Amino acid sequence: MGDGNTNQSSSRAGNSNSMSGNNNTSGNGNRPEWLQQYDLNGKIGEGTYGLVFLARIKSNRSKSIAIKKFKQSKDGDGVSPTAIREIMLLREINHENVVRLVNVHINHADMSLYLAFDYAEHDLYEIIRHHRDKVNQSINQYTIKSLLWQLLNGLNYLHSNWIVHRDLKPSNILVMGEGEEHGVVKIADFGLARIYQSPLKALSDNGVVVTIWYRAPELLLGAKHYTSAVDMWAVGCIFAELLTLKPLFQGQEVKGTPNPFQLDQLDKIFKVLGHPTQEKWPTLVNLPHWQADVQQIQGRKYDNAGLYSVVHLSPKNPAYDLLSKMLEYDPRKRITAAQALEHEYFRMEPLPGRNALVPPLPGEKVVNYPNRPVDTTTDFEGTISLQPSQPASSGNAVSGGMPGPHVMTTRSVPRPMPMGMPRLQPQGMAAYNLTSQAGMGGGMNPGAMPMQRGVAAQAHQQQQIRRKDPAGMTGYPPQKNSRRF
Amino acid sequence: MADFMTSTHRAKWIFTPQDLKEKYKAANQRAKQALEKYGSTRVDVNIDGSFSYAEHPNDAKENGDNHSRQKPLKVEEEQLMRAFYEFKIQDVCDAFKFPRKIQATALIYFKRFYLQWSVMEHQPKHIMLTCIYAACKAEENHVSAEELGKGIEQDHQVILNNEMLVLQSLGFDLIVYAPYRALDGFLNDVEEFCGAKEEQLAMLGSLHESAKVEVDKIMRTDAPLLFPPGQLALAALRRSNEACGIFDFERYLKSVLSRQHPTLSNSDLAVFLNAVDSSVNKLETPTSKDVKHIDRKLKSCLDPGSHDKSKKRKHRSKESSNDILDMS
Repeated sequence: MGDGNTNQSSSRAGNSNSMSGNNNTSGNGNRPEWLQQYDLNGKIGEGTYGLVFLARIKSNRSKSIAIKKFKQSKDGDGVSPTAIREIMLLREINHENVVRLVNVHINHADMSLYLAFDYAEHDLYEIIRHHRDKVNQSINQYTIKSLLWQLLNGLNYLHSNWIVHRDLKPSNILVMGEGEEHGVVKIADFGLARIYQSPLKALSDNGVVVTIWYRAPELLLGAKHYTSAVDMWAVGCIFAELLTLKPLFQGQEVKGTPNPFQLDQLDKIFKVLGHPTQEKWPTLVNLPHWQADVQQIQGRKYDNAGLYSVVHLSPKNPAYDLLSKMLEYDPRKRITAAQALEHEYFRMEPLPGRNALVPPLPGEKVVNYPNRPVDTTTDFEGTISLQPSQPASSGNAVSGGMPGPHVMTTRSVPRPMPMGMPRLQPQGMAAYNLTSQAGMGGGMNPGAMPMQRGVAAQAHQQQQIRRKDPAGMTGYPPQKNSRRF
Repeated sequence: MADFMTSTHRAKWIFTPQDLKEKYKAANQRAKQALEKYGSTRVDVNIDGSFSYAEHPNDAKENGDNHSRQKPLKVEEEQLMRAFYEFKIQDVCDAFKFPRKIQATALIYFKRFYLQWSVMEHQPKHIMLTCIYAACKAEENHVSAEELGKGIEQDHQVILNNEMLVLQSLGFDLIVYAPYRALDGFLNDVEEFCGAKEEQLAMLGSLHESAKVEVDKIMRTDAPLLFPPGQLALAALRRSNEACGIFDFERYLKSVLSRQHPTLSNSDLAVFLNAVDSSVNKLETPTSKDVKHIDRKLKSCLDPGSHDKSKKRKHRSKESSNDILDMS
């Protein structure tokens, strides 16, 4: 962390001597202002791209930020394209049911990027798991319907902006914890999945799973071009999982294959939905794997076990009707997000509401979902290469309308939100120990995570605005009962 | 992708001519002052993300008269350098057979970058390459820095060194709207408008091609920083139609406006289109010969040491060839 590092790691160290003169301050007393507003709680997630951290704003302890660190791309080819894809999409997006990027920070020392999001305490993976493993009880109908409606609402927004998520699964569907947006769904982690070369990471014991369970049949059969219908298939799988607490199509993944074809996954689908036929799905015969693999795919015989029996719904139930339309084989016939939002299911009691986790009717049981586990032993690992020097390092600092290291200013529309993160199992860590400063000891490197000064103030402002304006709800279906909100 | 109406492109990157003038002037002034003060205009990104000018105190002390030979670029000279490298962007993209969309994206990145910086602060050759590289990434047409560097015989390290700076200077607003898509839409519309028959369809096809070439030209002017892509496309269409007169443009314009923008009058739009037109007519395509003199000035501003060093090197080599090895 010494001053020497500063020049050594500079790309033009030889000529860039402007920094050395005044760069003689060090130690914790010299943390940049942006960092002093935050407490690092610890690590909350991990993925192929990097780590996710939880931090709190000191001035507003209720305001949490999730910070996703993207390492430089491995192949020595500059800034991670994954990070670029995610940032550039999120910059253009603004919807209550989609994560909002609060800020982007750059660590120039190792060219890594930090994406700061509003923090979401829950996600569908944890919610489902809690019901299945802890309370041993199904999720109530109001909650399922509200979660699904908001998920579709966010997805409809994305699709109408020509954005296909491509990686919807329970762990990427976040739900806000207690606070102003309690129980609001946020679609996260997108622009990430690239179906044709998806990094199928091994199912490992720390629970990081990139699963094929939500993959649409046209992708499994090798369709070259896919549409937003692939997302609707995933929503159907998630809907069924909310109903039964079990993944609907739990195929065994064949690792290391560069193509998306997964026979066992197809097998699981066919067992429930029956064999697709050219009659029902005319373009089926054009799909590469359907043609190439006549013996294995077309040769097998399946009895139509019946989706309704798997999800324990009567075929007459509107919930079943909606689900079966999401799981339509032919992507061109599959229900769209916009159509789904208009489905009868959402027009009958209980009506969906904004706080999906708390049923509006008094007397109904409220499930208390656990907080996300935080690994407080981890700090911004791998980023300790940089000693932040005070900006007043030299007389020739560039001034004027220059963007600083904290590049993003939030766009004007107030809209708090969270972010998606892969699983991090609680094992070996103080599960609910949010003891603020634990990870913030002297070892933590402040420079690694530039944070924008304005965040606390912005967040505050947003909340004020929101309090005045209970809207954001304008898109909800007609409510008979005003108590819903 | 997404919608232009709600885009960062529309919200943050469409300016008035006055805005542009002021920005170019401010960057130029700042670099000039740096030259006086530090003997160099090059901006380095420090490890903490702050920016500073590279200082050359030794030069100043040892041969102050050398200092006085450094001349800053004038605003118009900066403009000429940008024009030179914008043409190069199209050149390089053509050489790699990149689609027009990437070319346009790279050009817009380059223009946006130099709204904030003087060409004296960041070597435009490096920024040009970095913008092409970043455009490829953003448009899902990934080309490795090494491949790109090799293809044009440039050190790919300059691309990687500048990538973060460019992304940061663009505020990570990387989704940009080029006029080509809008042009495709207008051409379809014109076909319908004309009720085109076979013969006319072929003519419209060639009109489309020539309009694309017009867009290529427009992309090298300031117009993409001043007008939305739809208007740029219309301006291109009008220009190419003027040459061959395939359809009645004025009548078509009226029909478009009445269908889509009842509030915008024909004459309002004509003002915009004329403005685009005149910037295309003023478009310069400087050759390397044209900018040779400016480029020399630019080099001495960006890197005043290099000139001296090479002189010294020559001088020393006469004394002892071994010394050269110590020069690193």
